[in-house]
Amino acid sequence: MRPYAILFLLVLAGLVVAFAPLPAHFSAPVARTFHVEASQFAYQPGEISVNPGDKVTIELVSTDVVHGLYVDGYGVSVKADPGQNATLTFVADKSGSFRLRCNVTCGAMHPFMVGKLNVGANTWLYRSLALASLGIFSVFVLARTTKME
Amino acid sequence: MKPSELLTRIVITVFNLGVVALSLALWAQTPLIHARIAEGGGWSPNVIQAKVGEPLHLKFTSDDVMHGFSVGQMEMQPVDIEPGKVSETTLTFTKPGIYTFFCTRWCGLNHWRMRGTVKVTGSETGTPEPVTPPLYVSLGLDLDKPHPVPFAPAGRPSAANGQKLAASLLNARFTTPDYYRSHAPAQLFDNLRSTGLSDSQRWDLVATVWQSNTTPAGLAEGKQLFAQNCAACHGEFGGGNGVFADDLAAAGTASMQTMNGDMAMSMQTPADFTNPQRMLGASPALLQGKILRGGMGTGMPMWGTIFTHEQIWNVIAYLYSFQFDYPK
Repeated sequence: MRPYAILFLLVLAGLVVAFAPLPAHFSAPVARTFHVEASQFAYQPGEISVNPGDKVTIELVSTDVVHGLYVDGYGVSVKADPGQNATLTFVADKSGSFRLRCNVTCGAMHPFMVGKLNVGANTWLYRSLALASLGIFSVFVLARTTKME
Repeated sequence: MKPSELLTRIVITVFNLGVVALSLALWAQTPLIHARIAEGGGWSPNVIQAKVGEPLHLKFTSDDVMHGFSVGQMEMQPVDIEPGKVSETTLTFTKPGIYTFFCTRWCGLNHWRMRGTVKVTGSETGTPEPVTPPLYVSLGLDLDKPHPVPFAPAGRPSAANGQKLAASLLNARFTTPDYYRSHAPAQLFDNLRSTGLSDSQRWDLVATVWQSNTTPAGLAEGKQLFAQNCAACHGEFGGGNGVFADDLAAAGTASMQTMNGDMAMSMQTPADFTNPQRMLGASPALLQGKILRGGMGTGMPMWGTIFTHEQIWNVIAYLYSFQFDYPK
């Protein structure tokens, strides 16, 4: 096979890996409730995973000072005083990974008080892993074809 | 450039600078009050001077976390104080005296120690209100004495069930506000012994009497005050297990240690309002004293200068709702 044809095939494979639509992962949306404890300077649990379309309820409990929870991308937030739990409800209609941040200045390390919301599988992670392995594979293949000539 | 043009420029520049400088000077006249957590020094300054009838303009900023400002026994919107921002408020006092201001956002274990005073001077308008001692003083109650009852109701007493019995059986003596305030639920239970009712029916009657001394609006206010000021230690549902309960024990502060007998020391935990032995032996007057004064060998703050009497009675009415089932 000619090297140009191999290169063409490899590039085509790369495009398929990167952009091919995955079979739609279907799961009926459910209501999920998370009990998140906020203390200086972390959320417990720090990572929340849901399926797209789920109705997410976060019950925020603060155990020391006033903390907030802001969901990047969704632009919703909630604030909790110790002793006064607060709940935040939203529909996770955007898939991807989103940062959770504290939006009430809670002390010196406040800017580092973050968490994560995962909506659906992290397909970009899998796609980039596949692309990376394809890249390594093509280096070997191309090296071999050029050597043979 | 013509001299007249230069002159005009100078005049305009000076005028503009003057306007900016004057407003800055006026703004800077009100000193900035810094809020820090109690361990870091609390309020500075913590004494504010004011005059009767003159508006008092205050500016705040925080040096660490979010705080709040409110003056006790005064109708006002609490001011939130955030680091990096300046919040302002204007207060007008109508009576001279010493007012307590306090932090309204929980800022840590020692949040309640963040207090200061406003000294209001000026001439009294109208006649001063006579001061009456609180009920626990006139009844001679010992706030520090344990008050357990040896018996407890089998189930949760229901005011709705008691309602059916109340009309025929209740002595008018038991339904007065004075009786309610000066007697513990267990005392009324004892006083109803002669009625020949079963234990659970008598407890239901007690619940009815206690409910008749509250209003839905009063209970709602009590609930709100409890959530804002008490729940962090006593727990959202009154179980004595608020988010700070463990921290208080872990901190081992002297304020939470108490003497058991002559020598033994033990850690006090926040009172559990769901415990019937404890709650049914406490009269509203006793609870009022505990809330007014605080202490009892624990870190319980003193609320006498912050809550009005009416607010304290509403909180007390709400505390009993952890024991009794009130119909909605």
